[in-house]
Amino acid sequence: MSELPVPSNPFQVADDKYSALLASDVQGPRVVFRGTISTVNPAVILNPFVDAVHGELAKLGQKRIRVDLRELEFCNSSGFKSFIHWIERIGSLPEAKRYSLHFVSNPARKWQRTSLLALSCYGVNSVSME
Amino acid sequence: MPEIKPDPRQPIYLMLRMKPPWVFIDEIRRFVESFCACACDVAANRESQLALAVHELMQNAVPFSHDEEVDLVLEVDPDADRVEVAVTNRCTEAEFQSLKERIERMNSEPDALRHYLAEMTTTPATVRGGLGLARVRFEAQLELSLSRLGGRVTVHASGALRAPALKVPGGAHV
Repeated sequence: MSELPVPSNPFQVADDKYSALLASDVQGPRVVFRGTISTVNPAVILNPFVDAVHGELAKLGQKRIRVDLRELEFCNSSGFKSFIHWIERIGSLPEAKRYSLHFVSNPARKWQRTSLLALSCYGVNSVSME
Repeated sequence: MPEIKPDPRQPIYLMLRMKPPWVFIDEIRRFVESFCACACDVAANRESQLALAVHELMQNAVPFSHDEEVDLVLEVDPDADRVEVAVTNRCTEAEFQSLKERIERMNSEPDALRHYLAEMTTTPATVRGGLGLARVRFEAQLELSLSRLGGRVTVHASGALRAPALKVPGGAHV
């Protein structure tokens, strides 16, 4: 007997050590990353998630989304590429439809500030942080 | 009255040998961050930057280690204001030449941020690797070089222990 397809939510992904989900609150949509992104090729999991979130935000006409890293302990350079991929997807939209990523960092995770500083130079018009 | 000079402090070493190394990388990064915070009188952020460098260099080494040991040496010299992370693994001639070319290409660009941004643009998002060395150079403020001995390659990342605040054009800094 063939197995029934497993329902999947493209706005929520998880691996052994990290997870990501699209949430929403009074301030609008928010993408939350948690855990430690340190696997060999996290793009396999994270890029489809980024693509799904990007498609949804573009459809809704959002101008800004918060990206919450407060519970993200670490992200390796392979995982960092998913944020670069996200910025490139935003850049490929017509200018009027572009939105910005507003990163919310954790002061105790000091690597976040340096990585976001570099990312803000890459996505000059699409990245801000607090 | 003669001026009393403080005794010079000895450099602080941490040496680890791992096999298989992959499963330990997160634990080693955490340990290195705690070690640097406790053992070194470093500026804010430095222990985090050194932990990031250890993570990225080890992650680079693992796929090329050919199931042999990966060695990590961390040397902190407060009096000389110097720190070095060295990661050693086995490598073939082709792997060594490829890594040598990458580091030479990186060092030919004197601006670490410019090189990092160029790597972000040219490194495919779906392909593993390619960004780690540029990240170490800019975010950890360490210069990279290579040495080889008996079929094993060592990537050296060295720089000032008391690194200045990281700044980018436009005035933003951390």
